[in-house]
Amino acid sequence: MRLLLVEDDPMVGEAVREGLRQDGYAVDWVRDGRAAEAALAAHAFAAVLLDLGLPRKDGLEVLRSLRARRDALPVLVITARDTVSQRIEGLDAGADDYLVKPFDLDELSARVRALLRRASGRPAPVIEHGPLAIDPATREVKLRGAPVVLSAKEYALVAALTERPGIVLSRAQLEERLYGWGEEVASNAVEVHIHNLRRKLGDDTIRNVRGVGYTIPAGR
Amino acid sequence: MTSLRTRLVAALIGALLVAGALASWLSYRSAHAEVNALLDEELRQVALSVRDYAGLDLRRLDAARGDPEHRVMVQVWEIAGGVLYLSNARTPLPLAARPGYATFSHEGREWRTYTLFMGPRAVQTAQPTALRTGLAAQAALRILVPVLAVIPLLALLVWYIVGRAMAPLAGVAQTLARRSPTSLEPLAAQNLPDEVAPLVASLNDLLGRLGTAFGMQRRFAADAAHELRTPLTALGLQIQLLERAQDDAARAAAIARLKDGVKRATRLVQQLLTLARLEPDAAEQRFAPVALAAVARRAAADLAPLAEAKPVTIMVEADDAVQVNGADESLAILAVNLVDNAIRYALPGGRVAVRARREGGDALLEVADDGPGIAPEERDRVFDRFYRAAGTEAPGSGLGLAIARQIAELHGGRMEVGEGLDGRGVALRLRVPALAGP
Repeated sequence: MRLLLVEDDPMVGEAVREGLRQDGYAVDWVRDGRAAEAALAAHAFAAVLLDLGLPRKDGLEVLRSLRARRDALPVLVITARDTVSQRIEGLDAGADDYLVKPFDLDELSARVRALLRRASGRPAPVIEHGPLAIDPATREVKLRGAPVVLSAKEYALVAALTERPGIVLSRAQLEERLYGWGEEVASNAVEVHIHNLRRKLGDDTIRNVRGVGYTIPAGR
Repeated sequence: MTSLRTRLVAALIGALLVAGALASWLSYRSAHAEVNALLDEELRQVALSVRDYAGLDLRRLDAARGDPEHRVMVQVWEIAGGVLYLSNARTPLPLAARPGYATFSHEGREWRTYTLFMGPRAVQTAQPTALRTGLAAQAALRILVPVLAVIPLLALLVWYIVGRAMAPLAGVAQTLARRSPTSLEPLAAQNLPDEVAPLVASLNDLLGRLGTAFGMQRRFAADAAHELRTPLTALGLQIQLLERAQDDAARAAAIARLKDGVKRATRLVQQLLTLARLEPDAAEQRFAPVALAAVARRAAADLAPLAEAKPVTIMVEADDAVQVNGADESLAILAVNLVDNAIRYALPGGRVAVRARREGGDALLEVADDGPGIAPEERDRVFDRFYRAAGTEAPGSGLGLAIARQIAELHGGRMEVGEGLDGRGVALRLRVPALAGP
């Protein structure tokens, strides 16, 4: 899952990026409103964490123009603007959720998970797909009830593929979801992770669609 | 006696008593003079009539003795032989030496007499002077008694009128007493007497200034709380990252970040304190002549370690003759903030020039760099509280330049933004009135 973090404060930004990475997300971090718009235009993100008091372009402006383009991208506002009217303004401008600083890293993670869950149209917090059960909160994956230990990237790969089963994701799309900017990506990284996943979850879990990419088949 | 009402009543009654007493005295004086003239004339007339009508027939004189109104004592002498006639036998008076009026004491009483000499006989009329004093005193009392009688009524009236006149004051006091301590709206100034209106106007003026001061304090507190929230957020997140750290390397990195976070929060609090102490009404700053060159050199020396670490070259170009009337400590804070700011935003290998010079009647303290500069549209905002340039990596509270501006204003000057070194970067400049040079 690739997230866009828009936060002008270096320390808060770094800590949030670090925390979200530990949760298995790929995080791109920009520091101002215009950079956020450039990033949104260039890449597909699963969700945006948006600070409001931003240099160059206010976060609310970024949010409004995003919604004006009829982009339904989940947006979680993280801000120090804490009055009720400010929260209402933020939500009415198109935010899906509103988190006031200072916030708890675990709560931020939970809200991001809730946001992604709602965006995928899936009501249950645990993703069940065939013999697979994935709990985004604990990042625990069970195969027929037995826990499977996955690395952060392997987990992110399974989560990306089970998000919408049956959809084929190309290697480039998977790379984009797995890695933020500035992270080194080996050319065969995705293949290596897929290989490891198959070993852990069984060969037929992830199917290779030749020349297109990978999928977890729907309706199993 | 602090009540205006009591004081007014007492003062008015006192004044009335004094006026009454004065009027009585004057009336006593004039009545006395009139009575004197009148009774003197009576004495003379009686003496003349004794001579003319009675013809010194002593039997006819005796007939006049029965008159109760007869206040005049008549004596007739045979100059050679003694008293022939005495209208009041109890008090024989001696005969005056000369004719006409005379006043003398006899057996403890004072007498007024009129004497006529007619050959071998003499006629003397006499009256005790106490009679005259009594008549004059009666006249004075006729003035004084009504005045005394009117005093209680007047006191009540004054009490009531003063109360009525003071009602607007009481109204103002009541309005103020009923107010909540936070309410600083002006008092209604309509329909007030001329004497109360200036008081209310002054109160309103004070309330207005208080409101402004409170507003500034509130805004400052809100700004401060708002700005503290970000470093505290960072600290909270850094602690959570520390808790999550799985291995020593991650733990060390988290601790390093945490330390930076604490350092930053501490710095922000220090800056906030500095700013609070510089609030215009905070404390009277002691002004004295200050050489800007010394201030510039000290700031450059203080920050030399920071400059070396970057590395940035600091150059001081200071004119020792430039003096301003100012607070040394505040100017030092300003200079350090400017130099610190320049070093933070300078590129590694860059230069920072610290200058103290004169320009006309102004003294300038200028810090110029060859860093990335400030976009023209942002130049007005750099001195705002908590403003931080877009895309800055440089850590800072966003207060340093706001503090500089506050100090500049305390010195009756201002902060300016200009071109930096070699047409690049930025120069931040303090402009204050210079002291006349040597």
